[in-house]
Amino acid sequence: MKKTHIVGILIIAVAIGAIVSTIQDSSTYASFAQAKDNPEIEFHVIGELNKEKEMDYNPEINPNMFSFYAFDKEGEEYKVVFNGTKPQDFERSEQLVMLGSVQEDVFVCSKILMKCPSKYNDGQEEVIVTANAVEANS
Amino acid sequence: MDYIGEDLIPGMLGNFFLALSFSAALLATVAYYLSARGSVDEGWRKIGRTAFRIHGLSVIGIFAVLFYMLLNHLFEYHYVWQHSNTEMPMRYIFSCFWEGQEGSFMLWTFWNMVLGNILIKTAKDWEGPTMTVVSSVQVFLSSMLLGLIIMDYKLGSNPFILLREHPDMVNMPFTKIADYLSRIDGRGLNPILQNYWMIIHPPTLFLGFSSVMIPFAYAIAGFWKKRFNDWQKPTLPWAFFSVMILGTGVLMGGAWAYEALSFGGFWAWDPVENASLVPWLTLVAAAHVILISRNTGKSVKTAFLLTTVSFALILYSTFLTRSGILGDTSVHAFTDLGMSGQLLVYLIFYCVLILAIFITRWKHVSGDGKEDSINSREFWMFIGALVLLISAFQIIFSTSIPVINTVFGSNLAPPADPIIHYNSWQVPFAIIVGFLIGIGQYLKYKGNDISKFWKKIRLSLLIATVISATVAILTSNTNYHYILLFFSSTFAVVANINYFIRIVKGKIYKSGSSIAHIGFGFIMMGALVSTSMSKVISQNSSGVDVKVLGADFSNNENIMLFKNDTLQMGDYYVSYSNRKQEGVNIYFDIDYYKKSESGEYIKAFTLQPLVQLNKTMGNVAEPDTRHFLTKDIYTHITYADLSPQEKGAEGTGNEYMKPKIKMLALGDTMFSSNAIIILHQLNTSVEKEKYKLEENDIIVGAELHILKINGDVISANPLYIIRKMTVESVPDSIPDLGLKFLFTKIEPESGKIEIHLYERQGNKKDFVVMKAIIFPFINILWMGCIFLIIGSMLAIRQRIKTS
Repeated sequence: MKKTHIVGILIIAVAIGAIVSTIQDSSTYASFAQAKDNPEIEFHVIGELNKEKEMDYNPEINPNMFSFYAFDKEGEEYKVVFNGTKPQDFERSEQLVMLGSVQEDVFVCSKILMKCPSKYNDGQEEVIVTANAVEANS
Repeated sequence: MDYIGEDLIPGMLGNFFLALSFSAALLATVAYYLSARGSVDEGWRKIGRTAFRIHGLSVIGIFAVLFYMLLNHLFEYHYVWQHSNTEMPMRYIFSCFWEGQEGSFMLWTFWNMVLGNILIKTAKDWEGPTMTVVSSVQVFLSSMLLGLIIMDYKLGSNPFILLREHPDMVNMPFTKIADYLSRIDGRGLNPILQNYWMIIHPPTLFLGFSSVMIPFAYAIAGFWKKRFNDWQKPTLPWAFFSVMILGTGVLMGGAWAYEALSFGGFWAWDPVENASLVPWLTLVAAAHVILISRNTGKSVKTAFLLTTVSFALILYSTFLTRSGILGDTSVHAFTDLGMSGQLLVYLIFYCVLILAIFITRWKHVSGDGKEDSINSREFWMFIGALVLLISAFQIIFSTSIPVINTVFGSNLAPPADPIIHYNSWQVPFAIIVGFLIGIGQYLKYKGNDISKFWKKIRLSLLIATVISATVAILTSNTNYHYILLFFSSTFAVVANINYFIRIVKGKIYKSGSSIAHIGFGFIMMGALVSTSMSKVISQNSSGVDVKVLGADFSNNENIMLFKNDTLQMGDYYVSYSNRKQEGVNIYFDIDYYKKSESGEYIKAFTLQPLVQLNKTMGNVAEPDTRHFLTKDIYTHITYADLSPQEKGAEGTGNEYMKPKIKMLALGDTMFSSNAIIILHQLNTSVEKEKYKLEENDIIVGAELHILKINGDVISANPLYIIRKMTVESVPDSIPDLGLKFLFTKIEPESGKIEIHLYERQGNKKDFVVMKAIIFPFINILWMGCIFLIIGSMLAIRQRIKTS
C-alpha cells in the first residue's frame, strides 16, 4: 500500500469523525412540549416573549437570574428562567432562540439569541417627515 | 407631480456608470477569452484591455457618485437616506458607504478592479487567460448592483434608486408631498458602527476576499492553457499576499469583537467569524502546496484544487452571511436582500467551471510518479496542508448546519456549546500544525539525512520542553490537550527563532518564512494562554441563594454594584462611582483600587464601559479594557437601569412607587428590589373583635415571609375583609425595607390571592450589573499577528524578486 493511500484513508476517517461529532453535538429545535417530555435534555426553542406578563429581574438578589414567559412556535406558553442578566432591550425582541432544558416545570435556559426589529440595515422601514408630522410605517 | 429640490443628475450618472461597468466587464471577458483561446491574439487582447480600463473608470465613477451623494446628503436616494443623516460626523462617511450590502459589493468590485489592473501590468503572457477569469468575476459582481427587473426577476440591488421609488416606499404618504425632501432627514448610520474599526475592517477584509481571486485566476489559466508547471511561480507572491491580507482582515475582526463588542473574547466561533476564517485556512494550505509543486513539480492537482476551493469558499461564505440563512444561529449575519439566488448562481457557476477544467485536464497532468520520501520537506508540508484542509472542513461543516437543514429538511440546531465543540477538534489540529511548523524549515526537499536533522532540531526541542514543563508546573495545569498545544506552539516559535539565528543568520530578506511562522506560533500560544487562563473576577460572593426556585445555577459571572459601593474582585477593589451621558452613549465610571501594604486603597485606574441607546438595533453595551503588558482587564456592563435618573426627587424618597401586582398561590414568591417575598399561609383565625366585625363577616390574613438579603426572615400580614357586601384591605408595611403590602383579591377557583407590593422611591438606588474578566498574556497573540504580517511581506518581496 502506498503512503498516499494511508494518508488518504486517515483523512477520510477524520472527516467522517468530524461529521458524526457535529451531528452528535448538535442540538434540536423543539417546542416546549417536547422539552417537557424530555426533561434535563437541552433543546433550542424558538419562540417569542409574552409581553403581557411580568418579567422578573432583581439584580440585588441574584444578578444572574432573569425570568419571563414565552410562547413557542406552537403558541404554548411556558415560564423561562435565564441564567444570566436581563438582555438589553429585551422588551423589544421579536423572536427568541432559547437554549436550555425543562427542570421542575420551568425552562431553564443558558443562552438566548434575540432578534430585534431592523438588525443592521433592513427590516422595518420607517420614514418620519417632520413639521407637518406625516408619519408612515411599513 | 413635480417634486421640489431633488437632484436627479447624480442618479442618472450613477446608473450610466453601473450599466457601463457591467457591459465593459462583459466585453472584457469575451475579448480576453478570444485573445487567449488559441495562440495569443493581439487584437482581441487590446480590446479586452481597453474594455477592462473602461470598466475600471466606470467603477471609479460609481464610487465618486455615491460619495458625492453622501457628502451632499442627497436623501432623495434610498441608500443615502438609509445609511446616513445630517447629524452624523463626516469622518464616518466611509462607514456609511459600505454599511449596506450594495456598498460592500462596490468595495469588492473596486478591489478586484485594482488588482486586475496590476495583473494587466505584471502578468505578461498570462494576461489573456487570467484576465478572462478576473473580468468574468467582475461581470457577476457588477450585476449585483444593476437592479434591473427582467421578467419579474430582480437582478441585483441598485444603490442609486430613489427613495420614493424604492419598493418599500411606494404609495407612502410622503410620496404625495411635493416638498417632502425639505422635511426629512436620513435614518443615519447605526451608532454601533460609528467607530474606527468600521472604517478600516471592511476594506481590509474585502481586499482579502479580492486577493484570493488572483491565485484562482492563475490556477484556472494554468490548467486551461495546459501549462501545469508554469503557473505556480507567478502565483506565489499573490498567494502570500492573499494569506497576509485576508489573515489581517480576519484577525482585525477578532480584535474588533474583543475591543468594542460584547463577545467576551476575541473569538467566539460565531458563524460569521468562521465564514471568513475557513477560506484563509484553505488558502494557507494552497500557498504551501503551490510552494511544493513549484519546488518539486509534484502535487500539481492538489495545488489546483486547494487554490480553487479557497475561491469557491469565499463565494460560499458570502452566500452564508448574506442570504439570511444563518438567521437563527448568528446575530451578526445580514438579512436577505433578494440576492441569495444570484449569489447561488455565482457560486455554482464557478464550482462547475472548476470541476469541468479539472476533469478535462486530469489526464494531461503528468503523474506524480515516484512517491515522496517520508524524510522530505514536501511530504510533511503536504501533510500540514491536509490538516489545515480537514480543520477548515470541520469548521465549515458545523457552520453549515442551517444549509444542511434547508437542503435535507432536517431539524438540527447548532451545538449547544460551540466553544467546546470546535475546540475539541481544532486543538488537536493546532497541535499537529505547531509541530510541523517547527520541523518544516529543517527538512530539505527530496529527502534528508535523519541524523543531521535530529542534530539541528534537538536544541529547539529541549528548550520547548523545558519552557512548557516549567509553565505547566507553575500553573499546575493538568489538561494534557492544553499542555501539548502549549508545547507544540512553543516548539514552533523556538525552532523558527533558532533557524532565523543559526541558518538564515539574521538576513532579513531571506527570513520571511521564519518570521511568519514565529508569528503563527505566537498566535496559537497567545490564543491558548489568554483563553484557557482567562478568569472571571466578578464572581458573586454575597447575595441570597435562590433555592426556593429549585433551579441550580452554575453561572454567577455577573455582579451587582451599587453606586459608591466597593466590592473585591480578584486582586482589586472595584467601585462604581458615576455615570454620564454623551449623545447616545451612557458611560459608567468603574474605578479599580489596589490595597497597599499599609491598608490604604489606592486608585489604580478607571474604566468607562458604555451602553449605547441604539434606536436601530436596540441598546448595546460596549466593554472597556485596561491593557497591561502581561494581562488585560476587561469590563463590561451587562445590565443597568437606563431610564433617566431623576434629579431633586431624591429629597425624601418616602413616596411609594407604582405597585407591583401579582397573583400568588401558597409557596409562591415575588421580588422587591431588596427582598424575596413568599406567601407562607392564609390565616383565618384573626380576631374579629379588633376590626369590629360581625358573625358572618369574613377576614383573611396573608402571612408573608420576607427574606432579607442577609438571610433574616420577617413577616407581614396584610388583611382582606368582607364586611357585609363591601370589601376592605388592611395594609401592612415594613418601614425598614420601605415595603408596603396590600391584599386585594381572592380567587377561590385557583386558590390564588392578589398582592400589591409597594416600594418607596428611596429603595431605587443607582446600580450596574457588570462582568470583569482578566485575559492574561493576550499581547502574545497581537505580537504574533504583527510577526505574521511582517514575515508574509518579506516572503512576498523575496518571491517577487525571484520571479
